[in-house]
Amino acid sequence: MIKLKMVSAAVLSLSLLLSGCGSSTKESQSSDGKKTASSEVKITLLNSKGEIQAQLEEAAKEFSKENPGTTLEVIPAAAGQSPFEKVTSMYASGNAPTIAMLDPGDVKKFADKALDLSKEKWVNDAVERSLDVVKTEGGKVLGFPFAVEGYGLIYNKAVLDKAVGGNFDPSSIKTRSDLAELMKKIQKTGVASNLQSPMDWSLAGHFLPIGYSVQSNKSEEVEAFLTNLKEGKEDLTKNEKLNGLLDTFDLLKENNINKKDPMSGTYEQGPELLGKGKVGIWFMGNWAWPQIKGFDTTNGNYGFLPVPISDNPDDYGNSQIPVGVTKYLIVDKEQNSPEQQALAKKFLEWLVYNEKGQDVLVNKANIIPAFKNITLEPQDPLAKSIKAYMNNNKTLQFMVTLPPDHWSQVGAFMQQYLDNKIDRKQLLKQIEGYWKSQQ
Amino acid sequence: MSSQKFFDRLKVQLLFSGPTLFAFFTVVILPFLYGIYLTFTNWDGVSTSHSFVGMKNYLAVLDDAAFWTSMYKTMKYVLLTVILINVVGFFLAYMLTTEIRAKNLFRAGFFTPNLIGGIILGFLWQFIFSNVLVYIGEHFKIGIFSSSWLADPDKAFWTLVIVTTWQYSGYMMVIYIAGLMNIPKELLEAASIDGANAFVRLRKIILPLMVPSFIVCVFLSLQRGFMVYDLNIALTNGGPYKSTQLVSMYVYQKAFLSQKYGAGQAEAFVLFLIVAIVTLIQVYMSKKREVEA
Repeated sequence: MIKLKMVSAAVLSLSLLLSGCGSSTKESQSSDGKKTASSEVKITLLNSKGEIQAQLEEAAKEFSKENPGTTLEVIPAAAGQSPFEKVTSMYASGNAPTIAMLDPGDVKKFADKALDLSKEKWVNDAVERSLDVVKTEGGKVLGFPFAVEGYGLIYNKAVLDKAVGGNFDPSSIKTRSDLAELMKKIQKTGVASNLQSPMDWSLAGHFLPIGYSVQSNKSEEVEAFLTNLKEGKEDLTKNEKLNGLLDTFDLLKENNINKKDPMSGTYEQGPELLGKGKVGIWFMGNWAWPQIKGFDTTNGNYGFLPVPISDNPDDYGNSQIPVGVTKYLIVDKEQNSPEQQALAKKFLEWLVYNEKGQDVLVNKANIIPAFKNITLEPQDPLAKSIKAYMNNNKTLQFMVTLPPDHWSQVGAFMQQYLDNKIDRKQLLKQIEGYWKSQQ
Repeated sequence: MSSQKFFDRLKVQLLFSGPTLFAFFTVVILPFLYGIYLTFTNWDGVSTSHSFVGMKNYLAVLDDAAFWTSMYKTMKYVLLTVILINVVGFFLAYMLTTEIRAKNLFRAGFFTPNLIGGIILGFLWQFIFSNVLVYIGEHFKIGIFSSSWLADPDKAFWTLVIVTTWQYSGYMMVIYIAGLMNIPKELLEAASIDGANAFVRLRKIILPLMVPSFIVCVFLSLQRGFMVYDLNIALTNGGPYKSTQLVSMYVYQKAFLSQKYGAGQAEAFVLFLIVAIVTLIQVYMSKKREVEA
């Protein structure tokens, strides 16, 4: 009996292997023969934005309804798991998702597995520079820009209105001293001015990279700056812009509501304190809106302030906030059949050009799309604020292609700095050391 | 033995051990060998091609100061937890084999933490350390609890030790209870008639006869201590600022977060060697102390 089982197990695994090879030959035949897909086609989408899982499932249902005989399954990546990790394990098990939602820095690692999308219609409607990080040297486009996100100092307008005695105008904050003054005014009303959360991904994934991106308004020059860092040619202690940013960080640190015990803060604390008006300012991005909404006491009056880096109002970075595409979709060409690939392309097109697709994307999932043809206005105040910065061309480069462990390694240094365990000089030396080890 | 007989016996043996051998070979031995192979490459976890880099990854392990720091922390953690788990576990077992009321209730109670998975446990204790204790500390003005233990590097390390002890001492207690029950009653009786008090009985009879249980328990707690990951990630997540990042977590992050598969795998192999050597020494040394009743 056991022997039988063993044999059957061996046969089964062999047959799996064989069928794997077999199906690929069949596929190539069908693509030669230009056979139309008549039978059921099933594709999968790996979603790494957990907060919009339900909305994507809804989109999948709508899409299948319009395309009979097809199903789209949305697979969630566990919270906290990097999409790269999930996708590589799915590839290793021969079960790659048709469409995978990846972080920008990871897209090019899939260059030999991702379908070239440069012939797609939406390529021409994508907003400027949104395809830069997914274009290969050969002109291939590997990814579909899925979501635009931005971050900065989120303010609670009700608190700030009270502090300035009237209608608060975000454009009045152009320098670090403006910000310092505003924070003093907030404190006079009996409310803590700001919260500086200690999460490593926030400190080194978002805050510190502002210091890289303000080095220049040309992305090539920022790239060159990072290359110099890797080669150990940059002396960060003499870098005026990065030091300027850290001066602002000191200001935020000094007035932090958690100043006594800065490391005890959690992400969950932020939306509550800001939403209930217990702090006026919180450094975070538009992804926090669903949580802030849960505590909202101001009827949705929030917006972004730039993180100032100097006292000169004209400096690049003092009136801009970082905005960029943070998620790309890639289509697998290795383990999915041509029919599946075609359907995946159709789905991407559906998201951009179909009314229902747009509706799900913008109205239901609160995504800021990266396409010029979508005219729907975002609903939530933070997305609106980002849109306004985009429309005025007041954006900084969102540093999305830093090395994959930058947020974690450099995040630990930033946390030590936040907790006053190391001084500015040590922090900058450690950052230099991290970059040097990246060669 | 004729060859015919040999094959007959082999057939029978294969019939029974074959399936397990097959499973062991495919899910343990093969990945293990493949893992060793990967340590000589520069694979990033996804690309279809990778090239040989020789001993470079192992040299990188020697150079990686952060790896050795987390290894040192792990050693400290293992030493503390092994001692605490076994002392507490033995003490509980000793108490619960004396004439005490509601013995079974206590046994079940102390064993329960072991049934909760490390992740859940981590979140539970995270809540206790950063909310409950802080609330109590502020309310009753107890200085040591007034700020979250998880926000301070040294205290965060101790939270790991405390929770591990809490989790495993009940499990070791069960093994010790089994050991204690197996000690022949007549020996203890004879000793007490000869005038040995409880302490002498414990030192001269119980402890020597309990050596096999100690071997098992120390081995289990050693190995678990070195390999701890779930509790580490759920309770402190390596923080604050990586000060409590133990070696398993470090290796994992190296391979999957920093996407340095070869280097991470090489570190994992070094870790394997260290754990193997430590546990082998432990088993060898303590085997020599075993006595017969």
